[in-house]
Amino acid sequence: MSTSTVAPPARPVRRRLHMGTFAFDVLGIVVALTWAFPVYWMVLSALTPNARLRQVPPSFLPTNATLINFQRAITDPGFLPALKMSLMITLLTVAVVLAFAFLAALAISRFRFRGRKSFVLAILIIQMLPAEGLFIAQYKMLSTLGEDVPALGLNSVLGVTILYSAAIIPFTIWMLRGFVAGVPLELEEAAMVDGLSRTQAFLRITFPLLAPGLVASGVYAFLQEWNEFTVALVALPAGSAHTLPLWLREFLNASANRGLDWAQVMAASTIIAVPVVIFFLLVQNKMTSGLVSGAVKG
Amino acid sequence: MAHSPTTRRRKKANRAPFLLLLGSLLILLAGLGYPILWQIITSFQHFGLEQQFGAPPTFAGLENYARIFTDDRLWTVVGRSLAFCFVNAFATVFIGLMVALIMRAVHGGVRIVIQIALLLAWAMPMVAAVTVFRWLFDYRTGIVNWLLTSLGLSGFDNYAWLSHALTFYFVASLIIIWMSVPFVALSLYAGLTQISTDVIEAAEIDGASRTQQLRYILLPMVRPVLSIVLLLQLIWDLRVFAQIRLLQDAGAPVSDTNLLGNFIYELGMGSHDFAGASAVSLFVLGLTILISWPYVRSLLKEDDQ
Amino acid sequence: MKYKKIAALVAAASMLGLSACSSDNATDDASGSTGKGDGNITLWLAGSDTPQELRDYLVTTFEKDNPGSTLTIEEQAWGDLVTKLTTALPDEKNTPDVVEIGNTQAPTFTTVGAFRDLSPIYEELGGKDLLQSFVEVGSVDGKQYALPYYFGSRYVFYRADIWDKAGIDVPTTLAEFTDAAKKLTTADQSGFAMGGQDWRNGISWVFANGGELATVDGTEWTSTLSNPKTIEGLQMWQDLVMNASNLPTTERDVAYWDFINDGTNGAAPEASAMMAPGWARWSIGDMTKNDDGEEVRDGMVDDSKFDIFALPGVDGGVAPVFAGGSNIAISAKSQDPELAENLLKIIFSEEYQTMLGENGLGPANSKHVDSLGNDKFATTMIEAAAASKLTPAAPGWAAIEGAFVYEELFQKIADGGDVQALATEYDAKLTPMLNGN
Repeated sequence: MSTSTVAPPARPVRRRLHMGTFAFDVLGIVVALTWAFPVYWMVLSALTPNARLRQVPPSFLPTNATLINFQRAITDPGFLPALKMSLMITLLTVAVVLAFAFLAALAISRFRFRGRKSFVLAILIIQMLPAEGLFIAQYKMLSTLGEDVPALGLNSVLGVTILYSAAIIPFTIWMLRGFVAGVPLELEEAAMVDGLSRTQAFLRITFPLLAPGLVASGVYAFLQEWNEFTVALVALPAGSAHTLPLWLREFLNASANRGLDWAQVMAASTIIAVPVVIFFLLVQNKMTSGLVSGAVKG
Repeated sequence: MAHSPTTRRRKKANRAPFLLLLGSLLILLAGLGYPILWQIITSFQHFGLEQQFGAPPTFAGLENYARIFTDDRLWTVVGRSLAFCFVNAFATVFIGLMVALIMRAVHGGVRIVIQIALLLAWAMPMVAAVTVFRWLFDYRTGIVNWLLTSLGLSGFDNYAWLSHALTFYFVASLIIIWMSVPFVALSLYAGLTQISTDVIEAAEIDGASRTQQLRYILLPMVRPVLSIVLLLQLIWDLRVFAQIRLLQDAGAPVSDTNLLGNFIYELGMGSHDFAGASAVSLFVLGLTILISWPYVRSLLKEDDQ
Repeated sequence: MKYKKIAALVAAASMLGLSACSSDNATDDASGSTGKGDGNITLWLAGSDTPQELRDYLVTTFEKDNPGSTLTIEEQAWGDLVTKLTTALPDEKNTPDVVEIGNTQAPTFTTVGAFRDLSPIYEELGGKDLLQSFVEVGSVDGKQYALPYYFGSRYVFYRADIWDKAGIDVPTTLAEFTDAAKKLTTADQSGFAMGGQDWRNGISWVFANGGELATVDGTEWTSTLSNPKTIEGLQMWQDLVMNASNLPTTERDVAYWDFINDGTNGAAPEASAMMAPGWARWSIGDMTKNDDGEEVRDGMVDDSKFDIFALPGVDGGVAPVFAGGSNIAISAKSQDPELAENLLKIIFSEEYQTMLGENGLGPANSKHVDSLGNDKFATTMIEAAAASKLTPAAPGWAAIEGAFVYEELFQKIADGGDVQALATEYDAKLTPMLNGN
């Protein structure tokens, strides 16, 4: 048996370049194209004048491209306030949720205590409740709270943040628990044997390995709440307090004087997706670098 | 004598988990406590639009539940939802795993391209996504029909995908899977990367083939993440509402294509039968617990090890 | 311990974040007060039907007539209106003061006491001059709770060039219309584009034959689909849909204008006639460039190609079509009811009613109907609207719409089902629903 007893060399594994990898590359490109196609179609439609949408036979390339839909969407007076509102609510929610869920995941995975099983079960069961029946009560709750504490009531950032955080914390705890469970305690203990304190072992070994998990959960939480609609509809009735999904909804109004402008809907949708993409690009670097350096520290 | 240092430390250690949980508990109580309580209470009352506008609700005991359970429509919808849920959840996780494995096996550059494509798909607002799929499958102007008829399958000329329940669900499944795979693939990929490369290298040196690595090393090690994403897909796919609703708006036989989420919404916001909607919601909760119970149990047992 | 330290750090960070945000809230809240008895009122408009010019007029006039008070106008999407009204109207702290509501949705809310009694000011706002069918739909026990805001109507848009070539004249009776449509139907071109679930257009045939969807006795509603005249109307419609329309029977909310416009590169249109509300005009015609350089349809400039007529009645004249339009009401929980009533007085004033007409929205007060103009679009609209009818003013109507029952019924009829049997089946289903059960 040739199991190595020597510490592995500190370099990432080089994939042997052979036909297999190229075949996978092609497959990978196909996957990427399949998933990106509807997005491409959305952007294409956003660049098309509304009167020319949905023609037979379809055109795959942006002939007749126009920027007027984007122009109208960005200069819409509701856009910037909605953007600000969405950013505040979503970033706050992600921060709160990641922080508390991470701590809770640690508690569940690393400690044995009374009530642990019940908490885990409760977290799971809460997620199974359909949300459609809850928002009447959520409205009443915020409305009542808002009488005493306006900062927590309807049309407030905090009020919605609480609702969003509560909605997504169970799931985030579950996700993070899985990632924490996937990092064996032995690694920390091995480092402690080498002379590191518990904290140092945690911060230098475990935490970097959890980074991708934290990032994945954070991205998920961000996306869920960025695109959330029903709770926002009910909890943010004032036009000045709309989030981006509510702003998008306004474009779906046909009027007495015109039919629905689908091209504009697509342009507005594209604009809404942009901050998300930026967020991921920012975060992706941290993710990959954390990965490489964390995985091979001796 | 006062407590020894070790007992003091142990006592402090005992309090630590509760402190860690405190934040989450507070948030949950604040955001969900009252709504859930309201829903439970309302399911036992007569609560319609009059009550919403001030008339006092009267106690109804189990009447709402009896009414719901004897309604044939409910059971048809339940059957459909269960089938839809299982098919989609398993398909999503399977495809997601395949994509995650592909991401592992490709060059860094291609991996970034895939990640970007998945992220774009994930970031796309749902309304836009469903609309694009509607357009793709539109009976007159849709690309799918155009492609299929160009390939010679003339049966698809002006074929209305959404007007027959089965093909409706096919399109709905495509949308759900397309929307859910990015998350599953990225999570599984993150889980796969956590696997220490030492183990893989050792296996490679031992001569293990790719498939063997997969079966005996990778899969077992990502099982925690795999279990979770599957469970969550099951939970989520059982309650799917918005995508179905948007597709139905495009012209589909509504009562033939309703799933549980739509059923609850129609009861609540459509017919203003809030008590009925609450009852069905709690029923769906029970149902979800039921179908995931064996799974949850094994997860909890795994926990104990 | 390390975990505690981390917990403390995180807690501190979130506190900082939260406090930073609450200072933003103070300014947000101050601007959004509604119905708090503080002299500032809110008007909810549904969809984008009311043009900006009219909204500005309302705000300016209201604030001039009521110094010290402000008017905020919020637009709600039609699809979410009922949801938002259901949560907001009962809440006196946050209720909108004045709301626009669809005429089919009004009965659901008037019967649960969501709105303020407007009978005291009914005469002042126009009394008998207001569109009576809309007034009826917003009344309970002889008292008015929701009054008409504007009306629309629907008529037939057709390809004059195709009809001329086939030598067919504008029909004068409904039967002639069906014949014309059937004659013009080919595999590629519908004589009359009609989706199978489109009951809003379909019930015009029921009304034209003298049928009713439901009748009321006191407060008990009964669905009358089995009424022989209703059956006649449904059968007529069935004949038309099955033999003159190539659209799938599951089509509901269709952009019919796509069908009578030319296809890409001048290809033949997919239908030679269709029925739609008046505003469809702006999506029909040949391609042209507007002032912004954007490509749009020219709004039916070429009348040798695109033209309109009102759906003819069974024995000539004009058929009663389903009237589009909205009602307007004051929330029962409004904290500024007098100010809300002042706003209504402005809305029902001659100036505003005229402005509605000038913008293509039928004014509620029939005295000002000529502000719609006298081009063919206006006259046809008025003609069609004069004969129009509404859906039953039953408390459960909104629920019926929410459950898509009529869509289902019409689809089954369009699929060739036995109209008599379906009518009996759906009467049994609909009667309890109409009464809100």
